[in-house]
Amino acid sequence: MWALERPWTLRQSGVLADTPLALIATLGGAWLSAAWLAAGGWLPDAILRVVALACMHGGLLAVALAWAQADGGVRLPPGSLALMVLLVAGGTAGATLEARASLALVGAPCWLAILAVRGQLVGLGLGPGIPARPTLVGGTLGALLGGHLLFSASQTLGYPLRPEGWPALLVPWAYDVGANVISAECFFRGALFNRLQRRWSFGPAAAVATALALVRYLADPLLPGQIEVMVGALFYVTALGVVNCWLLWWAGSLVPGLLASALFFLAYRALDVS
Amino acid sequence: MRDVVALAASLAAVTLVVARAEVETAVLLRHLYLVPVVAAALRLGPVGGASTAVAAVLLQAPRVFVAIERDGLTLPAAEQLMTFVILIGAGPLVGRLAASARAQRRRYETLLAVQRALSEEAPLEIALQRLRGCLAARLDVDALALIVRQDDQTAVAGSGAVVAGSLAAAVLDTGQPLFVPDAGRGPRPRRAFATPLLAGGEPTGVLAIERDGEMAVAERAAVATLAAHCGLALENARLASRQRRFADELTERIASATATKSTFVAVASHELRTPLTALLGFSELLAQRSFDGDEVRRMADVMNRETQRLVRIVDDFLDLSRLERGLEPRLTRARVDVAAAVASAVEVLRRAGTHQLQVECAPDLPAVDADADALDRILKNLVGNAMKYSPPGSAVRVAARARDGAAGARGGAGVEFSVHDAGRGIPAEALPRVFEPYYRAPGVGSARGAGLGLAVVKSLIDAHGGEIRMESAPDRGTRVTFVLPTVS
Repeated sequence: MWALERPWTLRQSGVLADTPLALIATLGGAWLSAAWLAAGGWLPDAILRVVALACMHGGLLAVALAWAQADGGVRLPPGSLALMVLLVAGGTAGATLEARASLALVGAPCWLAILAVRGQLVGLGLGPGIPARPTLVGGTLGALLGGHLLFSASQTLGYPLRPEGWPALLVPWAYDVGANVISAECFFRGALFNRLQRRWSFGPAAAVATALALVRYLADPLLPGQIEVMVGALFYVTALGVVNCWLLWWAGSLVPGLLASALFFLAYRALDVS
Repeated sequence: MRDVVALAASLAAVTLVVARAEVETAVLLRHLYLVPVVAAALRLGPVGGASTAVAAVLLQAPRVFVAIERDGLTLPAAEQLMTFVILIGAGPLVGRLAASARAQRRRYETLLAVQRALSEEAPLEIALQRLRGCLAARLDVDALALIVRQDDQTAVAGSGAVVAGSLAAAVLDTGQPLFVPDAGRGPRPRRAFATPLLAGGEPTGVLAIERDGEMAVAERAAVATLAAHCGLALENARLASRQRRFADELTERIASATATKSTFVAVASHELRTPLTALLGFSELLAQRSFDGDEVRRMADVMNRETQRLVRIVDDFLDLSRLERGLEPRLTRARVDVAAAVASAVEVLRRAGTHQLQVECAPDLPAVDADADALDRILKNLVGNAMKYSPPGSAVRVAARARDGAAGARGGAGVEFSVHDAGRGIPAEALPRVFEPYYRAPGVGSARGAGLGLAVVKSLIDAHGGEIRMESAPDRGTRVTFVLPTVS
């Protein structure tokens, strides 16, 4: 039993320990530079969008990997953090150029899967195994939330489903799977909530992680500006955040939350909110 | 899982009923959601109640918000919104109250179970195991250990030894409860809590628990209270056990003392009767018949010896009586010449002619500061014992030599006397008790005695500030050595 047989020391490190500040500063600098160049008309908006998405999602994933490396007591292959940013950037650039090239966005989740199978992401709740029952529960909850979103948005706000069909959904789905969902889940749940729940109880940890995730979604310039969409996002992102925190707390794995988020955003992207 | 399915079914049923009803009726029927919400709260606690309430609101929200969008905030719409508020409020509240009541009941049941677990007398290790089993079954934890410190020993139930520097060791040292929210870095945070077992306000041990999941502040406070109660219950059980052991021991001692006294009365009566019979017989003979002078002297000699023996026995009784009252024998101490005292005592006993009595007194022995009569009694008693318990014709050696200050009686200078026989010896297990009153070592056979001699000898030597010890080995004889202080 740990309490009797292992030496005990007070935890010294803070919640933000082992953050790759140099990388974050570089990404921030790149984002600001791109924004300045775009504002001056020297850089197309499409490239600014690529840089912004790469910096945001790549930055969140890089921090998550750095924390996983420290918390899991493992060593990631050299350059993993930068590679993750580059994969997101490449995928986003591909998606901007050509719809089918958006498949390049799966590069980041593939790299994560490789690291997880090698047992190097246990600090994020991504181990070699997948817990079947929690994954099923996560999928069910994500599908229920997504289904409810479709139903309530179409009933209350009158939003229809996208008329273009499946091929048009490929880019946003690839974006969700390859950047949006994995960056949010890996950072806000796998890294941040995981660290917080090891210091505090579930309630405060879930509240802080969900609130920060909410801020991230509300501050997203790509979120439609309608007030009803903002309120809806507030409700669903909060519900999804709490559910995913609970799934990670219950299962000790990030996979159920990833599935729940992926299914929810699958439903969300099916709506025509333009 | 069955609970979740039943709740989902009841939510679906209420939704169906509300969906089929008219608007006015639906407003009322929406209150039916309270049934699954309250049921979930009672069954699954605040999380279950809140989740079911949110699910109920989510099921009705599209319909209600569509109506508000279409008709504005009408009275029925406001009532429906109020229903949502009631559901969202009632679910967690009822769940919290139900969980609190259940926790309270569990605590009382646990306290009773602890009392029951410790009600039967058992050694500490077994009592700890029982207590651990009782607590583990009720506290819903993944690991539980109890540590109790008693004297210099530490008993542990539920784990191996306590490692220095561990959480339990820290609590054992400080007496303060400690909580670690992340023990062991597993996939799920493992909470560990260790709290002292208290008895009389002092930490006597530790209760340590671990769980993969939450361990709220209120629960930790309840566990700390429970640990204090367990400490007290363990202490009570320990005291009760000690009291029972003490009572048993006392009963045994009383029985032993009673038996010893009975034996003593029988032996003493016999001891007194023997010289009295001789005195009675010879005095009757002298009264009824006439004898020649030599025969009268022989009879008088026998009567004198028996009378002296009678006096010795009565003196022993008196000394013993003083000893039992915590008084020391009366001594009249003076300068006593050792060689003369030894020669005098041995000479009297030599007349029996049964043993070879050898005296080895070192030359120039210093005089001892002693009561001459007491020293005479000591020597006669020890030499008499040596003769009594060694075969006729064997040698009994009586020696005396000077001892320096460090080795003498109680640290001062003294004379060491020793009486060594070649008898059958005394068993090792009987040696520590040979100086107890009434005690007679096993295997003394038909030798006469009341078990008083050595007790009286020891009391006399102690009263002089001297020391006595006995060494013996079966069939190799016995050596009794005592030291008396010299005249300073």
